Amino acid sequence: MIRSSKTWQVAAMAAAAGLVLSACGTTDTDGGGDASGEDCNFKIGVMGALSGANASIVLPSVDGAELALKQWENDECEVTMEKFDTEGDPAKATPVATQIAGDETFIGVMGGAFSGETRATKSIYADAGVTMVSQSATATDLTQEDQVDVFHRLVPYDDYQGAAIANYLTDELGASKVFVVDNSEAYGEPLADRVEETLGNAMTQRDKTEVGQTDFAPTISKMESAQPDAVFYGGYIAEAAPLLKQMRDAGIDAPFVGGDGLYGADFGNAVGPAGEGAVVMCPCAPIAEDSTFAADFEEEFGAAPGAYAAEGYDAMSVFLAALDDGARTREEMEEFVDGYTGEGLSKEIAFDENGDVPKENVSYWAYKNEGGTLVPEVEVKP
Amino acid sequence: MDFDALFSGLDRHTLDGITRGSIYALVALGYTMVYGVMKLINFAHSEVFMVGTWTVLGVYTVLGVSAGAGLAAVIGATLLALIAAMLASAGTALAVERIAYRPLRKKGAPPLIFLITGIGCSMVLVETFGQVLRFFFGPPFGRVTVNIPSVLQTRDLFTIPGVDLTITNTRVIIIVGAIVMMLALDTFVNKSRLGRGVRAVAQDPDTASLMGVNQNRVIMLVFVLGGAMAGVAALLYTIQYDITKFDIGFIIGLKAFTAAVLGGIGNLRGALVGGLLLGIAEVYASTIWSSEWANVTAFVVLVVVLMFRPTGLLGESLGKARA
Repeated sequence: MIRSSKTWQVAAMAAAAGLVLSACGTTDTDGGGDASGEDCNFKIGVMGALSGANASIVLPSVDGAELALKQWENDECEVTMEKFDTEGDPAKATPVATQIAGDETFIGVMGGAFSGETRATKSIYADAGVTMVSQSATATDLTQEDQVDVFHRLVPYDDYQGAAIANYLTDELGASKVFVVDNSEAYGEPLADRVEETLGNAMTQRDKTEVGQTDFAPTISKMESAQPDAVFYGGYIAEAAPLLKQMRDAGIDAPFVGGDGLYGADFGNAVGPAGEGAVVMCPCAPIAEDSTFAADFEEEFGAAPGAYAAEGYDAMSVFLAALDDGARTREEMEEFVDGYTGEGLSKEIAFDENGDVPKENVSYWAYKNEGGTLVPEVEVKP
Repeated sequence: MDFDALFSGLDRHTLDGITRGSIYALVALGYTMVYGVMKLINFAHSEVFMVGTWTVLGVYTVLGVSAGAGLAAVIGATLLALIAAMLASAGTALAVERIAYRPLRKKGAPPLIFLITGIGCSMVLVETFGQVLRFFFGPPFGRVTVNIPSVLQTRDLFTIPGVDLTITNTRVIIIVGAIVMMLALDTFVNKSRLGRGVRAVAQDPDTASLMGVNQNRVIMLVFVLGGAMAGVAALLYTIQYDITKFDIGFIIGLKAFTAAVLGGIGNLRGALVGGLLLGIAEVYASTIWSSEWANVTAFVVLVVVLMFRPTGLLGESLGKARA
């Protein structure tokens, strides 16, 4: 997910907190760990930011999972979903992971929703053999470096995103002079690097800005002399809003494209009228308004399915399919998920040896900001 | 490195720098005045500015004006927002003084304690907008960036012939507004009776009290004036950037404090010189390299200036000299 920028410091603190808290976690498990292999009473944990500033990109996926569970038909099994609020904070996710890992009735966990909390907890789950299926953690290293067997995810990782964005810029927009701007931090800079790599000669100039910057006059004057036919910004909403406004004020009308760091209901509110027509790329699948999923979701939760709702539904469906298949232990669950293939709502689901959905199954969507809402425009392959 | 880009558009970049620096300078006045009188860095001043930006948003929301309103509505709404932001910021500054500083002053607390209570106040204000107000009123309060309607839209006013530099209405308002406010403040402190009190307390608080200057009143006045200037800065900032956020004060506060030190903290004209110089240095550096070098360059300038003039460009002199 977009909060892949958590510093190592935070990770270290989380690890330390985990060491301290693991003691409390293991003591209270003795009472609840008596699930036998045969009867099918299980819990599936859900871990993510259910409150706080980033909750709006997590809650729809949790609702999606809840819907999948509700629609599940199985006479044999009694499955409940238990939600744990981490606020997306690795330090808060660690005790949650310890608790889930220590309680044998948890047969799987959906999450983490963000990369930072996933990074901090995956070894805890790995040690206990709890299968993880993440609906939205996209940091490349989660599967490409120190990977653990139990971790799977339904979204493509960040490396693909740069290529998808560059393809959108050249193929969809037909741009040949793209101005690339990044925010000089751990999310935006590597993303812009990938975009630059794929664009090659189609990039006219690159400029670096800072997190927290509001005055982009120097960047604007560089744009004025470069005369780009598209602008890509790798960064977050807080800086994209003033950048876009100053661009439009200066009369630069080139299409503005951003990565999933800009995705979310807050984008339209922050950019205002200057952001009309701005494009946000996201690995999250749009949901057709007339689909049964959208209708069921709306009926259940009173709102249209939001970010990663389909991925949440898919993650839960994978776990439930395992139980249908007769998986009754964590080992059997892990084995089933590793070999799972099936048609999901968001994409054709399968996991490679790293736990990623194969590249040919993933795609990105370009969402266009129309009157403050992000409307799906076109699907792009990385 | 791209010096060509700098020199080919030097006039434009200088103008960009002055625009950026004008806002720094206005916020810097709050730091510099409080320091001049109390020898204290008011760390809550950045949040005084932040409250101002939210007030502008509040006024626009209540009035229901948005982009594209008629000229009369635009002028009326902007002036109303200006007054409201000045009042709100001045009120916040005054409240900070009352709650965080005055009780300590009465007890004669050591200077370090003031810094801590100042930082505490700053955090309380940030969380008030990030958390508390959201709890009671919901959005737009919270931790996300909020758009402020561009009531005053950017228009090209005229082009300077010869150099081909287009001047927009917002630039004129920001630069002229900032300089007029600073001149007014400077005149007030140097010429008026109340201003004489301010200078007296800055020079020697004890003697000033013996001469019948009410020290508490002077300190309140200083906070109110500094806060009002931050309110003006807040309006100009929203005109230029169209956004606010619960932690928007942090960076601008840091820059303004730097500007104050650069010009000579405690010196009003120093704040102007420091702010403009800092803004220009940042824009030049961003043009030659990129924006990530802006701070590096700005602080190199600061260090070099302080090496040769340890009290800043114009020296620390709210009280001294210039009667």
